Amino acid sequence: MPDRPIPGAAVDLEPSSRPGVPMERAPHPMAGARMPIRPQHSDVRVFKHKGRAGFPPVFGTAQPPRGLSGLLRKVAYGYPDHWARHWMILLLADRVDVWEHRLAKVAPWAVPTAGVLAFTGVVWRKWARA
Amino acid sequence: MRALTYQGPFRVRVENKPDPRLEHPQDVILKVTRAAICGSDLHLLHGLVPDTRVGHTFGHEFTGVVEELGSEVTQLRKGDRVVVPFNISCGTCFYCQRGLTASCENSNPSSDVACGVYGYSHTTGGYDGGQAEYVRVPFADVGPLKIPDGMEDEEALFLGDILPTGYMGAEMGEIKGGETVVVFGAGPVGLFAMRSAWLMGAGRVIAVDCVQYRLDFAERYAKVETVNFREVDDIVLYLKDLFDGRGPDVCIDAVGMEAEGSVGQRVLGLGLKLEAGAPTVLTWCIDTVRKGGNVSIVGVYGPPWNLMPIGTAMNKGLTLRMNQCNVRRYMTHLLQHIREGRIDAKGIITHRFPLEDAPKAYHLFAQKQDGCVKCVLTPGHA
Repeated sequence: MPDRPIPGAAVDLEPSSRPGVPMERAPHPMAGARMPIRPQHSDVRVFKHKGRAGFPPVFGTAQPPRGLSGLLRKVAYGYPDHWARHWMILLLADRVDVWEHRLAKVAPWAVPTAGVLAFTGVVWRKWARA
Repeated sequence: MRALTYQGPFRVRVENKPDPRLEHPQDVILKVTRAAICGSDLHLLHGLVPDTRVGHTFGHEFTGVVEELGSEVTQLRKGDRVVVPFNISCGTCFYCQRGLTASCENSNPSSDVACGVYGYSHTTGGYDGGQAEYVRVPFADVGPLKIPDGMEDEEALFLGDILPTGYMGAEMGEIKGGETVVVFGAGPVGLFAMRSAWLMGAGRVIAVDCVQYRLDFAERYAKVETVNFREVDDIVLYLKDLFDGRGPDVCIDAVGMEAEGSVGQRVLGLGLKLEAGAPTVLTWCIDTVRKGGNVSIVGVYGPPWNLMPIGTAMNKGLTLRMNQCNVRRYMTHLLQHIREGRIDAKGIITHRFPLEDAPKAYHLFAQKQDGCVKCVLTPGHA
């Protein structure tokens, strides 16, 4: 081993100089913290897993649940997060979500195209029989 | 605004989405100046984190300028430059009061496994992240750290995640001076864990990886010995032999759920999803470390379970320590290390991209191409 591998080697040798020692410190509010915390209001649907007693005062509102994937997520959050089915249903919902978005993306051109093809097929069969 | 969005496993793109708005009196809106891509973002990209919704914006490591303030914010002013911890922590709950900000109970309704995290799925609260032009930052008087005048954003950027995470990885190894330390993973977190192990007085530090350019980088950047596990028959036996047949005193897992090295674990975890990823490195740590030694886990694993040799750990009398990093308590200390030249945080950046090229950056980073160690994104206005 080099004597001094990097500048400042062993500068934090003393455990008490390390910010995370001890891991749990005597309780006191952090600098800048404000109590009580006013609850956030939102019209967006946000799920809380069933193992949690109350809703936290602050939460994210990105990508609200919707469609079939949203229904699956609702089912998943009906179970506490120490149940495997909570996570497995969420993974399934994620895959359904992707397919919902893909279908929604192709629908504007795929539906009319399918209609035109179907109409053309009917006309062709009638013409062929005639 | 322009923002990176998730489109399904292995697909992201940059698109327009509504600007974030103040949703709580303790919020601020930041104009993002730099956003890093973290190794743990790849778990999201690969569809391994449950409740990752299409349209979600990733990014939990960013700096920015305060653009808009909530009515209860008193410590920040418009125009302040800040770096933001990835944990969203209230500063007042049972856990925050004890320094365990990664366990804050006031920011995540979705799960008890973690607190709120920016851009890390709805499992961590459903907050959009910083790989965008603007981002909402809750509890703004508690988390963000002002970047000192004269310091570049990129010098402070990694105080938000990987630098404190690497430091905490070494700290949880309980180094008292002279110990032998093996760090699995020569990515950004591993590199900072190696440097931190030296700062804490380690006697010998060895990096293990299978990507040779990253091992070469670790040799230069962290002054460590290196082992490419693909070039030895059995990495556990090889490392034990290096330390008198006993193994090192401390092993640090800086890899997490997408480890290479075991076909079986990858098939079970990443292919069939029968466990939460591939805990190969965790298994190696437990098998390699000496009896009575410490295993420190900062690589990310997800719920609900993993196949790991807990019986071996029990019988060897190991101390296993792990946590998402309680970032805020480390920021000031590590800022001092950066300013005094003990850690060159910016020195690990190998690639910079405009935000518009974020999909390309993800691809490069995930495929480990072009000598990529760390990618940083710059929004158009920055």
